[in-house]
Amino acid sequence: MLARAQLIVGIAAKHLSKRKRQTAVAIAGVGIGVGFFLAVSAMMIGSQNDFVNRLISSAPHIIISDEIRSPPPQPAIRALPGTVVEVHGYKTRNEVRGIKDWQEIVRAANAIPGSIVAPSLSGAVSLRVGGREEPLGIIGVDPNIEEKIENVQDKMSVGSLHNLETTEGGLIITEDLAQSLGVRMGDTVGATSTAGTRSLKIVGLFARGRGQFGNNGYVLLREAQSLTGQPFIINRIGVSIPNAYQAQAVAADLESRFGYKAQSWQERSADFMTLLLTRNVIMYSVISAMLLVASFGIYTAVSNSVVDKRRDIAILRSIGFSQGDLQRMFVAEGLMLAAVGILVGWAIGTLLMHILGSIRFPILGKTEHLPLDRSARQFMIAGFSSLAAATIAAWLPARKAARVDPVDILRGAA
Amino acid sequence: MTALMSAHALTRILPTEPPVILVRDVDLDISAGQFHAVIGPSGCGKSSLLYLLGLLDRPTSGSVEFEGVDTHSLDGDERAQLRLEQFGFVFQFHFLLPEFSALENVLMPIRRLGRLDGVEMAERALSILDGLDLAGQAQKTPDKMSGGERQRVAIARALANDPALVLGDEPTGNLDSENSARVIRIFQRMAHEQGRAVVCVTHDPTVAAAADTRIHMLDGAIERID
Repeated sequence: MLARAQLIVGIAAKHLSKRKRQTAVAIAGVGIGVGFFLAVSAMMIGSQNDFVNRLISSAPHIIISDEIRSPPPQPAIRALPGTVVEVHGYKTRNEVRGIKDWQEIVRAANAIPGSIVAPSLSGAVSLRVGGREEPLGIIGVDPNIEEKIENVQDKMSVGSLHNLETTEGGLIITEDLAQSLGVRMGDTVGATSTAGTRSLKIVGLFARGRGQFGNNGYVLLREAQSLTGQPFIINRIGVSIPNAYQAQAVAADLESRFGYKAQSWQERSADFMTLLLTRNVIMYSVISAMLLVASFGIYTAVSNSVVDKRRDIAILRSIGFSQGDLQRMFVAEGLMLAAVGILVGWAIGTLLMHILGSIRFPILGKTEHLPLDRSARQFMIAGFSSLAAATIAAWLPARKAARVDPVDILRGAA
Repeated sequence: MTALMSAHALTRILPTEPPVILVRDVDLDISAGQFHAVIGPSGCGKSSLLYLLGLLDRPTSGSVEFEGVDTHSLDGDERAQLRLEQFGFVFQFHFLLPEFSALENVLMPIRRLGRLDGVEMAERALSILDGLDLAGQAQKTPDKMSGGERQRVAIARALANDPALVLGDEPTGNLDSENSARVIRIFQRMAHEQGRAVVCVTHDPTVAAAADTRIHMLDGAIERID
């Protein structure tokens, strides 16, 4: 069986080697298709991974807030299931904001191996310096936990998150806000909330262009609690887990157990995820078209080979080769073209990635490289897709080869 | 002498409009050790009969038995296997595979059959080539050989798997008289010394004269056998 395959593949290889120009064109088609497949997918997937990494590392994977997605059912409805209950004049209870029993949620979240759990309190204050006033969302955090959950430090241009612990009434805001207030590192600002006014000192600044901080400022957790008059209250629990892609499931589990809204990063970035999906659909459409076009080259090469070799087909049949042998012979021609083309394509792809990877461009003062995905997975996908396309492209003319009636050829030649 | 192959009421009609009758109601016995020549005017159905006997074509009606087995019951793969093991074809044109050397061409059916190891295959192919005075041509491709040499390589290929039946379709049609005489001697040797059944379609009176039996055909039917 192996010997027969060897024989058939050997004949196919001989056919190809004697048809250098067609063979080269078909191989070049597959090579260019695979090469650009790799270059395009490296850029698209690379930039996607880069986006997602920024997304994952810039905030906790799951944020549990003191909100409830749907209000609890009325006691009467719960007591009389399956009936129609009319409730008159009810008022929603004015609940104390904040997460009740937050210690329990923290314990549950901490039970997930490798997780980091950061309880915090956010609230709103007005910052006032001289005559200027700016609204600010403050987030009270524990710097030791927060630095593990978000890469805050990378985004700071001046100071450090730990300054919050060493300086009484420390505050970190964005450079943009500092500029519009006209304050600098070390200056004191007045912060007013419903609970009163305090003085805070600027101990750090976030760099420009880190949009996600917006008009948010960081203070120590207990500072936020006393500033907003909510001692011991927590209204936000950030959870980070080792595998960020499980965030959705973990969030759903926490929400179902405790009732509070638990948002995964995927949910918070739903628009963005839709955008990524659209990008992927576009990318795979374009690169599939490239591979399809490449397989036309194989179809043409194998078709021409079948037409040219009709006499050989007849003679091989008369010698005792079966129809299946002939079909396999021409499929083998297509697969060999594809295999060599894929190797050439891998080389072209690697070269293109090297060129793309060496392009530098400055963003906000930093020189960055294009994020590229060079994973073996894309090479495998490109390879297997091409092989599959080539099999079909070669199989169609090969079937014709198997159906050639040797008598027609022999009669015609005689 | 028992027949190696026999045809009964063999008929082949091309289903065109109007239908063309290629072979009409042929009864024929082919015996081992006999050199049969099929003769008749052009278009009388000689070649069509040969393709039917060679299992390259299927009859419209009638049957072909080989070693007592009705070949009608065989599927395409089984017919191919029978050709591989038992039949050898020699055509008017050598029909060698142009990319391969003489040796590789002769090896083609041997390798496809795959019953010998590599060394034995090469030895067998070389000994067949040697028997046809082609030892020196083994490594040449067909385009480097003379017409007579090519036709003898084609005969060597037909003999590669030691067939019981050799079918020739105008094997001397493209050869000069000297090479024709040589091919005729080879065909006689195949029948008389090697005990094969030989069926040879021909226009060539010298081939007909060399044969043991002459099957005269006219309009698809056998006119007489002498």
